[in-house]
Amino acid sequence: MPKHDTPLLDELEKGPWPSFVTDIKRQAETKPECWDILGQLEVSFVDKITHWKHGGIVGVFGYGGGIVGRYSDMPKQFPGVAHFHTVRLNQPSSKFYNTAKLRAICDLWEKYGSGMTNMHGSTGDLVLLGTTTENLEPLFYDLTHDLKQDLGGSGSNLRTPACCLGTARCEYSCYDTASLCHHLTMHYQDEIHRPAFPYKFKFKMSGCPNDCVASIARSDFSVIGTWKDDIRIDQAEVAKYISGDNKPNGGAKSNASAFDMERDVLALCPTGCMRMKGDELQIDNKNCTRCMHCLNMMPKACRPGLVKGASILCGAKAPILDGAQMATLTIPFIEINPDNDYEAVIDVIEEIWDWWMTVGKNRERVGETIQRVGLPTFIKVLGLDPIPQHVKIPRENPYVFWTSDEVPGGFDRDVREFRKKHAQ
Amino acid sequence: MPLSDDELKDAIVAKATKAPKPQLYIKDFYKCDPDSKARRIKNVANELVREERLMFWSSGSTTMYGIPSRIKNEDDKDQSN
Repeated sequence: MPKHDTPLLDELEKGPWPSFVTDIKRQAETKPECWDILGQLEVSFVDKITHWKHGGIVGVFGYGGGIVGRYSDMPKQFPGVAHFHTVRLNQPSSKFYNTAKLRAICDLWEKYGSGMTNMHGSTGDLVLLGTTTENLEPLFYDLTHDLKQDLGGSGSNLRTPACCLGTARCEYSCYDTASLCHHLTMHYQDEIHRPAFPYKFKFKMSGCPNDCVASIARSDFSVIGTWKDDIRIDQAEVAKYISGDNKPNGGAKSNASAFDMERDVLALCPTGCMRMKGDELQIDNKNCTRCMHCLNMMPKACRPGLVKGASILCGAKAPILDGAQMATLTIPFIEINPDNDYEAVIDVIEEIWDWWMTVGKNRERVGETIQRVGLPTFIKVLGLDPIPQHVKIPRENPYVFWTSDEVPGGFDRDVREFRKKHAQ
Repeated sequence: MPLSDDELKDAIVAKATKAPKPQLYIKDFYKCDPDSKARRIKNVANELVREERLMFWSSGSTTMYGIPSRIKNEDDKDQSN
């Protein structure tokens, strides 16, 4: 029997789609505290404000992340959610786990929490919703000892690294994302579990420029697989797409009108670097921006090149202080080498951290720090030379600020002498 | 010259004890020893948490440090409001 009247929430059960209200009511039959979630949410709908309070001193001993304190500001009316903390579990890389693991986690959560979960959180964690402060240490003990399962990141920590399926399941992937993700997770355990930074810091790894984890929009440090050489073309398969023997886009467009090479591929190439010469598909690879459209449309005909690595992009974030921001291409090509423990990637990460931990303001994401001090300063910190890809909008700003060491002879040079030479 | 670990620990605890607010950002401790790198100060602050001379406090999105008795006082006040 419902404990509270929830006429506004009940509206959300109408219609053909699944309803979280129905789900919570079902869960409340065995976990009565879930009635209070609905009761409090109904009050929030009426009052048009949240009745949750965040934060506090909850956590497990020695860890400064992984558990987000959550309290009701109406504990007398809704005692079941007076404490309702969230626990983040570090998901396996590429989210590969079996049903036995999932059942074990759910059984543990029925024992210590509300039984409600969020699969998966935005950062990829297995999110367990709603427990009390007293249950945290026993839950953590069972998680780590019986399930060999650790917490993820929260607060000003390194957040749980996330990656796409990578080479495990995807032919486009230019490196083993799960391997790099696992390596960084283990290498930076201290940064994941204890606050280290001015604010949160996220790694995300995609195996190719399709960027299935949207790392370019969501992570402070995005590693996107790419290739250096030419797209591999199988001309016989190209002919089969044109004749209709191969279905474009892996069959996803099978009901659409017949494949038209000019309309569906060549005209949609953003740099216009493709053409048909007779029956032969030609690509001017120097002008290819790795948009992936031709590879996605004709997966049997076009494949990534063989000299594979990744691009590093920095500074994306969702809106916090200054609004949403996409990442900036910082290093166009970097070696991804498991044999040397991904040394090249780790060197860049630590250069960025050493700089941002000192220069970044409290609650400032690294992308905001880059925006505040300017990209030229950031690339100088990393010891990089500017490249055309660093220029967002050419010739937008007429002012160029040189430093003394960038000017031949420095600022003390004899300008009259220089102009005499210039006039010749 | 950087402070020794024990000197740095004492400086961090003194800073957290005297600060007007009970919760401090990790950056607030950097001034305790300008000659030390930020990552060393972070490691020493975390060691103080293990020794229970400091504790973590989370705002939900940001994690801060403080003296346990000061933070617990503040938290109790907040819970009773």
